[in-house]
Amino acid sequence: MKVAVELVPLGRKLELESGSSLQDVLFDHGVEFPCGGRGRCRGCRIRVLSGDVAVTPEMRLALSAKEIETGWRLGCHARVDGPLMLEVAQWEMDVLADTALLSGGMRDGAGIAVDIGTTTLVAQALDLRTGQVLGVRTGLNPQCEHGADVMSRVQFALHSAELTALIRQSVGRMAAEVSAGREDVRDVVLVGNTVMHHLFSGVSVEPLSAVPFRSSSLAETTFTPRELGWDLPPHCTVRFLRCLGGFVGSDILAGIAATRIHRAERLTALIDLGTNGEIVVGDRGRLECASTAAGPAFEAACISVGMRAATGAIAEVRTSGGGFACHVIGGGPARGICGSGLVDAAAAALDLGTLLPNGRLAGGARELRLCGTVVLSQRDLRELQLAKAAIAAGLRILCERRGARVQDLERVYLAGAFGNYVRIASAARIGLLEMEQERVEPAGNTALRGSKMSLLHGAATAGIVVEHVELAAVGSFQDTFVDCLSFPEIECTVEI
Amino acid sequence: MNMMDLHKLYDAVLNGDAKTASAFTQEALKEGAAPLDLVTNYMVPAMDEVGRRFECEDYFVPELLLAARAMKAALEHIRPLLLASGAQPVGRVAIGTVKGDLHDIGKNLVASLLEGGGFEVIDLGADVSPEKFVEAIKTRDVNLVCLSALLTVTMGAMKTTIQALEDTGVRDQVKVLIGGAPVTEQFASEIGADGYGESATAAVALARKFSHA
Ligand code: B12
Repeated sequence: MKVAVELVPLGRKLELESGSSLQDVLFDHGVEFPCGGRGRCRGCRIRVLSGDVAVTPEMRLALSAKEIETGWRLGCHARVDGPLMLEVAQWEMDVLADTALLSGGMRDGAGIAVDIGTTTLVAQALDLRTGQVLGVRTGLNPQCEHGADVMSRVQFALHSAELTALIRQSVGRMAAEVSAGREDVRDVVLVGNTVMHHLFSGVSVEPLSAVPFRSSSLAETTFTPRELGWDLPPHCTVRFLRCLGGFVGSDILAGIAATRIHRAERLTALIDLGTNGEIVVGDRGRLECASTAAGPAFEAACISVGMRAATGAIAEVRTSGGGFACHVIGGGPARGICGSGLVDAAAAALDLGTLLPNGRLAGGARELRLCGTVVLSQRDLRELQLAKAAIAAGLRILCERRGARVQDLERVYLAGAFGNYVRIASAARIGLLEMEQERVEPAGNTALRGSKMSLLHGAATAGIVVEHVELAAVGSFQDTFVDCLSFPEIECTVEI
Repeated sequence: MNMMDLHKLYDAVLNGDAKTASAFTQEALKEGAAPLDLVTNYMVPAMDEVGRRFECEDYFVPELLLAARAMKAALEHIRPLLLASGAQPVGRVAIGTVKGDLHDIGKNLVASLLEGGGFEVIDLGADVSPEKFVEAIKTRDVNLVCLSALLTVTMGAMKTTIQALEDTGVRDQVKVLIGGAPVTEQFASEIGADGYGESATAAVALARKFSHA
């Protein structure tokens, strides 16, 4: 009998034979087994979110009673007996925290900054006087069980209050852990997209479920630990920073504070290359933002051979002697491709002439053979075209509103994990970023950094005013988008 | 004008060359070509080929839109003549993106291929209320309704629209075809649509099937 097994945070859905062992399957999806699957290390830990995985003697040796009680198991010794949803511990390591050192504030005590992502959560505890990081916790957003993207969360939340309880519990637990029982925790600052804000705050998501996706509850919300049922000092305040629009949340507000584009002399942009594709363009005079709904192609989630950046993933592709040279994570055989590899592969194929500017594979080829058994289909390249066109078109339109071209931007900050590891030259080659490479700067987890700044200097986000532009209402969107679908003919640098 | 030359009209549409398509049509008509002949023997086959290339991923959104533009440029000259001669279209289609949804690129492609396939297309635009669909059926002698949705949250509006057709007693006059990325065959049967098309090409094939039935 076949049973359904889902792996998070990537949202991979599998059909497995009941009674089969999980090890091979996990390996195929990039999970590593440091001790070779003998149950000696704890490297392949998985957590059962729903369903049951029998505890074996090996697991009792390797895991604590508390871990077993909270659902942790060893991947190498797990057997599938029924439908399962599993969290893979290794995958959490990918969560991008923030290592920037910030100057301290004027207060004593500790504070906690939390970035509530649709998929992942990061909490950092800080010393409010020195700015020093006291601890970090990362985790999976427990809401993932009820849908991978914000739209499906909204749909679920229309009929149930469960998502609010889930996220409050998880963040509360992380906050308690990261503050390690300190009595002097005074402030907790949370940031996240608008849907996360509404769900955490217990505000109705109904306005976000239908056109025009405009909510009247965008303001900052505050709570006491007691209201949330959190184990933190009773006098500390918990603030979820305000949202900027229906699809642009406080993660972007914090990103603006972190990159200081509201103080920029010249036109500057902040781009989050995620599913919602939020873009902010402006300077100290005026800021405008939009979300371009790029979809998950940069996470390689809708790509036939797509996988996360783990063992077996092609993470880099270059041209070499008229062919491709692929770098595979871990050095073994290639099993798939991750987002950065995908962008590289398209760029390299354009250089080789095997991919034409209109997105068609040259000579009527149906697929692009990269390395070993990993091939990109024509459909995969079309998905990439749609995603990159959405971002490029959004950026062009926001620049046009300022009477500028994309090439005129003084600086472009990339927020988020993908922006951190994509090769800028390749992103420029495929027309995702239509500007000089030197102007592009991967800025890391700007959401978390901004929330830390707000923790240390309460007013960090106070003066920031951002106008939200509804791209759907921009008449020229379709033409611009269609124009952006093709790849640049020649290496895309500045026009003369 | 001979057959060889007329083939250039086919090529102009296929290659998305609006200027040539328009100039050529004008010239052909001046030299006495039959309007219906231009449509059925050159333009419809050209758009069918465009659809075929789109289906097998040789063409993508830009090529399809360009071809549609070329076809429309040619149709500008032909349509008045067709109307005057009383020629009937293959079928009359009302198409729109459902209420609450503003994604219209896919819908536009479907509309263009249907038009290229010889249908008369009434494009109601995006964010179209059920009432507007009902009104179009009542006033425009429509026999096929095409609904598009790109958001999970607006798929429900497809159901409401079909319900509105039932409630106003016009459901039996039309076939309802639905599509868009999140839509599935199963969803189509759940909400009582007559068909689901995965692509613009599939939309034309289904529309033809329904119109000849
Ligand atoms: C372009 C785009 C936009 C543009 C739309 C511009 C426009 N005028 O259409 C803008 C930026 C405005 C936009 C806004 C939003 N978008 Co948007 N958008 C996209 C994007 C990038 C491409 C869609 C597209 O045009 N595809 C190309 C066309 C050709 O394909 P297609 O529509 O599927 O059509 C084909 C078939 O489906 C079929 N077909 C279509 N209709 C019909 C009808 C019939 C009858 C038949 C038979 C066949 C058929 O034929 C077509 C050709 O073969 C996708 C992501 C992606 N990478 O796909 C997101 C996407 C659709 N958007 C999404 C979202 C969430 C939004 C917003 C809510 C959020 C936001 N961030 O702003 C808003 C909502 C606005 C609104 N009220 O509708 C999500 C939907 C998720 C979901 N499951 O609901 C997507 C999937 C991105 C994501 N986040 O994952 N978006």
